[in-house]
Formats: sequence, structure tokens, C-alpha cells
Amino acid sequence: MKITGTCWVAQGYVMAYDIITQPFWTAPIDPKENARWVMAGVDEAFNRENGFASQGYSFIVAGHNFAGGGKSIEHVITGLLGAGIKAVFADSFSRLQFRNAINYGLPFITCKDMVKGCQTGDLLEWDTETGLIVNLTNGRTFQSVPVAPFVAEVAEAGGLMNFIRKRIAEGTIDQLR
Amino acid sequence: MPGMTITEKIIARNSGRKRVVPGELVWVNIHTVMTMDYLGAQTFAKLHELGVENVFDRDRVICVSDHLVPPPNEKFATMLNEWRRIVRAHHITHFYDLGNQGIAHQIMVEKGHVLPGTISIGTDSHANTYGAVGALGNAVGVTDAAVAMATGKCWLRVPESVKLVVHGEWHPYVMAKDLSLYVMGMMHWNGHLIYKAIEYTGEAISQLGMAGRMTLCNMTVDLGAKNGIIAPDAITRRYLRGRTSEKYTALQSDPNAEYEQVYEIDLRQVGPTVARPHRLDDVVPIEEVEGIPFNKAFVGTCTNGRVEDLEIMARILRGKRIHPDVNMLVVPASQAVYLEAMKKGYLATLVEAGAAIDTPSCAACAGIHTGVAGDGDVILSAGNRNMQGRMGSKKAEIYLTSPAVVAASALFGKITDPRKL
Repeated sequence: MKITGTCWVAQGYVMAYDIITQPFWTAPIDPKENARWVMAGVDEAFNRENGFASQGYSFIVAGHNFAGGGKSIEHVITGLLGAGIKAVFADSFSRLQFRNAINYGLPFITCKDMVKGCQTGDLLEWDTETGLIVNLTNGRTFQSVPVAPFVAEVAEAGGLMNFIRKRIAEGTIDQLR
Repeated sequence: MPGMTITEKIIARNSGRKRVVPGELVWVNIHTVMTMDYLGAQTFAKLHELGVENVFDRDRVICVSDHLVPPPNEKFATMLNEWRRIVRAHHITHFYDLGNQGIAHQIMVEKGHVLPGTISIGTDSHANTYGAVGALGNAVGVTDAAVAMATGKCWLRVPESVKLVVHGEWHPYVMAKDLSLYVMGMMHWNGHLIYKAIEYTGEAISQLGMAGRMTLCNMTVDLGAKNGIIAPDAITRRYLRGRTSEKYTALQSDPNAEYEQVYEIDLRQVGPTVARPHRLDDVVPIEEVEGIPFNKAFVGTCTNGRVEDLEIMARILRGKRIHPDVNMLVVPASQAVYLEAMKKGYLATLVEAGAAIDTPSCAACAGIHTGVAGDGDVILSAGNRNMQGRMGSKKAEIYLTSPAVVAASALFGKITDPRKL
């Protein structure tokens, strides 16, 4: 499948703390609700209701340790999902939010040096099967690291909750190894 | 065939495998799951969303009140009431609430809920602390915690291991925290240590007590690592005696285990170390920041709120008064730490020197409880994070360092090298 959309490109280090700021850490985990103030701490332009979500970006392009700083809150992921983000491409991801992204089926795709070849607003085309990303605005291409089969399986189930619910219902939890 | 690292052995053992290799995704059995007042209600809500009413083992789900106690406002009081109702409804055996509380990670180790050779997870990032006893400690979100509470299982990716071999002797005023910050300055947040298992070893680690080992493993999450671990030895066994009656297996890395990187560190190069405001990897030797004035001093947290930390402060502050322009807040990491520090006279020494002692909790560390930062504050802290706004106001600055540096500096109201006292 090919997904096309515009991207927002991070300038520097993006922390989980800034994607969801402190007043919202205990809000209900809900994509619509969390999207209202997602990225509020990342850029002053997003620090208003639906400031980021209203931009209509499909992708985020970032450097190392995206969503780092060590916050375990899942609002970071649901907020991005609620804002319409289809994938995040980065040199590397913080492991806590990498887990959360997998558990919610939001593709966190490792891809080197995309920040150097993209600008905010560029139109990207992502081939989910081959992992090839084409910047349709400037013609540059990037090859991302393939997604592990387990990650695809969880995404297909609609997230870890569904994945586990199904196995509890089938009585096959003990077969998970 | 190459050998396995301690982290690989723990994952293999708890996933029913003879062998695992880095990059493999496996389901592991979980020894204990920790959740706390701040995210616990969300965790139990997720458990119910799975259609599960009861936790997999009520002795192995550990609940702790640490972020919100005692409640400083109505919102937290109401959250706590709901939290207590939920914990009781699930008949959780080990509930550490106000009066028996402590910071969750301190409680997990101190009360013997993490054991060598096992895997424990928690809904707070500093769960890496459990590596101090040779366990695999991992922070997870509420979904992972709920799945583990329901099933006793969690998925893990086997990390590549990085070995840090630390040589030399500890100067009395150079602490594990200095080494943590030194490594942070060495590695930066450039992706080097992300997802990695960091194994601390070498003669300097063998000399280190459990408090220092907890500090080192605790801060591996801030290096971006998956876990930090120190192989169990006589110090570990002595520490665990009386804290657990369960049998455990003390695993060690094989001599021919494969590491992605091995770094050798000589303690002669590690002096008192400071991370400058807003970036944890903006680390400098104390010489570069000596003399910088500050108005608040803070020692506590899951990183540096233990008896040994309070002891070194008491040694520095005994018979002296801290500078009148400095507000110093000291928060023991648990009730047990509080009591021991009280009996040993450390708290009296600190109070006589002009420090304020607060009830064990996460306190100001995450900027949501006691002692938060206001506009214009310059804080010298022995906590674990210094990003803008971490302790409250975005117009505050946080310098991170060891309890010894905080104590020495508090005497003068400016950053001071404790070795020069």
C-alpha cells in the first residue's frame, strides 16, 4: 500500500514531554481528546487547541531519540494518531514510546537522515510493503528499515489490546513465546 | 558458539529458550508488575478493557503510592481515593500506601520484589533501577502493564549489550551519580545507547554498595538504554538476605559473551560531575561550573534518596549551617530510608544545618508535588532530569549533580567541589 501526505520535520530533539505537556499526563487515553493539545510543547505555533492536528500532516520526520526523555505515557501515541499521523520516520526512537507505538499500531519507522532531505510541508509517499519513501516535492528517496513480523501482526490486530483479547478468548495465551 | 550476556540469559530463561540473540522478539514471563498512584487507575482500566477482572497473581502485582502522597491538592486527593478503591477491589497483597510508602523503584528493590535472574516491569521510566540486583527491570506503558497483569507475560526485543568496565578506586566524595553523568556526557543522546542493555562491571563496580548500584542502573533509562544491569555478587546476596524468602538464580555473563561495544572507564578521570540546565547530556566536570550561584537545593528521588546519600550529606554538613540564601529540601526515598536515616542521626544533622525534610515521595522531581520550581529558580538537584519545566516553571534552571556536591555547595550558595572542603 502507498500512503501519501505532507510531513512536519523536527528541528532538533523532540521529547515525549513536549509532545504531551504535563497538564495532560493524566487525561483519559483517547486519540481525539489527546490530539487537541498534542505537540503543544514542541513548537509555540502548536501551543493552542488543535494547533498541530489542524495542520493536516500525515507524517513526522525526526532525528535521533524521537519522543525521548523517558515518559511512559501513551497519550504521546494516541495524540499523534488522533492528529492524523500515519507514520513517524526517524533516525532512532526512544524505546518507551517505540513500545507504545507498536502496541497502538502507529508505525515508528527507522530511516536514516531523512531530516536532511525533507522540509516541513513536503509531500511524501510511503510504500508500506517495500519501505521506500519518496519525497515527491524534491524527488529524493529514502529506504527505511523493514518492520518486524510481530509488529505488523499487532498492527493488523488493531493494537496489542485486541491482539491479547483474541488470545484470551481462544485460550491460547500460554502459547505466546 | 559465542556465550550469552547476563541480559540475554535472563530473557532466555524467562521465555523458555536455551538461547536468544539480539533483535529477537520474545514473550517473557514476568516476576512482578509495578504500578503506582499516578498511572495505576489507567492501568487497571486497561486490564478491565481486556475483559479480565482479576490480576494473574495478586502477590506479584505491586502497587505503590509515590507521586501523589500526601496529596497537596484536591485533585490528587481524589485521584488517590479512586486509586485506593481500585487496589483494594483487586485484593492486591502488596500495597505500599501513605505510612508504608516510598518511591516505587526503591520499594521494589528494598522489599525484595525484584530478584536476580528475573524480569520485572513497571509503569514508570526508572524501573531500570531493578538491574542493581541482577534483575531485568523495564519501564512500560499502561497497556503493557495491563497485559502483564492479566497474563503474567510481556513482549520484549532482545537488546544488544554494551559493557562499561569501570576501573580504579572511588574518591570519598565522588559518587555513582557522578559516574552516571560522566557516561551521559561521554555518550550523549545520539542513538548510541538507545535500546541497549548496559552492563556495568569492573573492580570499581564490585566495590560499590547497593545504593550506588541502584543509582547507576536507575539512570540508564536516561541514557536511552533498555536496561542497566550489574551481575549479582556477595553484596547483592547480603542485601537480599531478609528481604526475600524466594529462591533465585544469580546469572552472570559468559566470558565469551558478545557485546556490541565495550568501554573502559578509569575512575581517575571521573570527578564530581554536573549536567547543566535543560540538557542531561550537557555534562561538565565541576571545575567548569564552580561558583555558579543557586537558590534551591534538592536531594531525594529514586536516583539519590537513599541512606548512603543522606549519610554523605550529613558528613559534609555536620556542625555547619547552609547558606541563608539557599532553601534545601531533602526527601528520603522510602519510610524505611527515613527511619534508618533518623536512627543514625543523619536527619538531625541535616535539620540542624538548615535543611527541610519532607515525607517520602517523588516530591519535586517530576514537577507535580512538593517543592516545585517557580520562575527564576536556580536549582542544584540530585535528581535525574533537568529538561526545561521538569520541576515546575519553564523559567527555572536545573543543575543535576550528586548529593555530595549539593551538600557542599549549599554551604556557600554556589556550586562547590566537595573535595576542596
